[in-house]
Amino acid sequence: MALLEVKNLTVEFGSEDKPFRAVDSVSYSIDRGEVLGIVGESGSGKSVSSLAVMGLIDFPGRVTADALTFDGQDLLGMPAKRRREITGKDIAMIFQDPMSALNPCFTVEAQIMEALKVHEGGSKKQRRERTLELLNQVGIPDPKSRMTAYPHQLSGGMSQRIVIAMAIACKPRLLIADEPTTALDVTIQAQIIDLLLKLQEDSDMGLLLITHDLALVSEAANRIQVMYAGQLFESGPADSIFSAPRHPYTQALLEALPERSEGHDRLRTIPGVVPGQYDRPAGCLLAPRCRYANESCVAARPEVSDFNGRDVRCFYPLNDQGQPTGLNTGGTV
Amino acid sequence: MSFLDTKPGVPLLESDNLVRHYDVNRGFGKPGATVKALDGVSFTLEAKKTLAVVGESGCGKSTLGRQLTLIEKPSAGELKINGNTVGNLSDKEAKLFRRTVQMIFQNPYGSLNPRKKVGQILAEPVLLNMDHLGRKEREERVRETMAKVGLRPEFFQRYPHMFSGGQRQRIAIARALILEPKVIVADEPVSALDVSVQAQVLNLMMDLQEEMNVAYVFISHDLSVVRHIADDVMVMYLGRVAEKGPTEEIFAKPLHPYTRALLASAPKIDPAHRVKAEPLTGELPSPINPPSGCAFHKRCPFATEECAKVRPELRSFEGREVACHRVEEIA
Repeated sequence: MALLEVKNLTVEFGSEDKPFRAVDSVSYSIDRGEVLGIVGESGSGKSVSSLAVMGLIDFPGRVTADALTFDGQDLLGMPAKRRREITGKDIAMIFQDPMSALNPCFTVEAQIMEALKVHEGGSKKQRRERTLELLNQVGIPDPKSRMTAYPHQLSGGMSQRIVIAMAIACKPRLLIADEPTTALDVTIQAQIIDLLLKLQEDSDMGLLLITHDLALVSEAANRIQVMYAGQLFESGPADSIFSAPRHPYTQALLEALPERSEGHDRLRTIPGVVPGQYDRPAGCLLAPRCRYANESCVAARPEVSDFNGRDVRCFYPLNDQGQPTGLNTGGTV
Repeated sequence: MSFLDTKPGVPLLESDNLVRHYDVNRGFGKPGATVKALDGVSFTLEAKKTLAVVGESGCGKSTLGRQLTLIEKPSAGELKINGNTVGNLSDKEAKLFRRTVQMIFQNPYGSLNPRKKVGQILAEPVLLNMDHLGRKEREERVRETMAKVGLRPEFFQRYPHMFSGGQRQRIAIARALILEPKVIVADEPVSALDVSVQAQVLNLMMDLQEEMNVAYVFISHDLSVVRHIADDVMVMYLGRVAEKGPTEEIFAKPLHPYTRALLASAPKIDPAHRVKAEPLTGELPSPINPPSGCAFHKRCPFATEECAKVRPELRSFEGREVACHRVEEIA
């Protein structure tokens, strides 16, 4: 049984009759010991879907799903109190900006001990010992003296280590990391990702890594999901999804990367921008920006289907040569 | 305006040992301290070339940008444009000089005034610097520049909040270009943008460079972007240059241990590009209290006793400039 099972998760905002779907029927599952990467541009719904899993979407947002189960327990159907016991303990989350994720008014020690007090209990002395152990585990130099430091006395990388210590304090089985390194330098990013992967391996955790950085996710994750405008566009194993993309969007994203270009050639761009709340097309959400789109793409929305072992939401998934299959008019574009 | 004209054989922009120190107050009863944000940086930039400045946050790359745009005066050292030293100029001449160096900022959501329309934002530099132009001519110039960066004419009357990040960055680029500068300092111009939009903006910057012969000082932490756009790379560490040279050579064979670590830490999408290396330990030391000797020696896997005592100077090696004692051994 999968650790986390998400089936047709939908998050809506706005009025009942004209809702805005920030996340539209997204399904995935994570097993223990697995790293699942979710990539997408801003506005793709990658953060909102993870907030929905954590139960952090408040009114007026509406979360619906055919199934949202953690370790076999239905997260949506259970009483709020029971859910609070799971989130923060068995499912923990790391946020993007470590500077604003920490409370500036309390010491590092007080903030980590708070999480322990809520979920684990124990005497103050035990909690303090455990905090010291955690700071050691996340690689903070001289942890004894850092215990009483306030967040403003720490650098960005150090703050992110504290946030990670807080997240793993109750030995979670699933860790959701939402852009954990976006605010950090590359050298510190490498340290933090190494740390996360080591913790994940040591305790056989499931790790959900959300990022906009294609290169980062391709190095860290086992499986990758590509999201666009709230929908899942493609998912598959990390080693093949970027070497042989099946969805035109994945292909276009890769071509827009400077790393893939030779010399001073111009990059191949995706025209336009991600559709917002008011300009979502009726057909395939990518249709106005897709180089292969035709009338049927504009008329109807494709569903996710299986193509060569990959989940792809496209009428004309790409073959190994990067050409769309099943296009009968003209063939090439 | 003869001193603004390019002279053959003289570099467009020349920085000679540029230094910028800030005095900081460390609190009541404590002695003050000096932050050496920029501690002797020299380089030259030719027309139509791109120099990338890379390094971790706190290494002084943005401070360098502020010196180059004459927003701040350097504490010591000389900045020359077309062979003229900027420090010796009168205020009136300095104003003319500022026109030749313009800036693009990182965050297009913060760098545009939300109360002004696009037309007004773009007209302001013209209004201040070219007062011989009438209203009609000014508007003409704004519309021309908007067309150049791919903004539709009807955007003239719109406010910045009506635009996406990529289009805002186009407005910011248009604002920098409208005075026809010779140098544009771009401080992380694409780091706030998504991949697909980033490619659009990078292409635009490269097209404009060819069209208008402008030189870029491209400040960035994204090494794949730097490799794509820059002719030369300058790697900075704690206010000093660690390594400087042609882009392809540096990426093919980084000499300084810090450059190596920086390149190895950047994630790569193609498994073939990945470099297996131990990640750099520790963080950038405080510029208030930098380590003795080589500023990098505490994080450097090759450090010796000499590195802890003597500060390495920048010297030529294999057609590049490197500040490392042991470059011959580790190359």
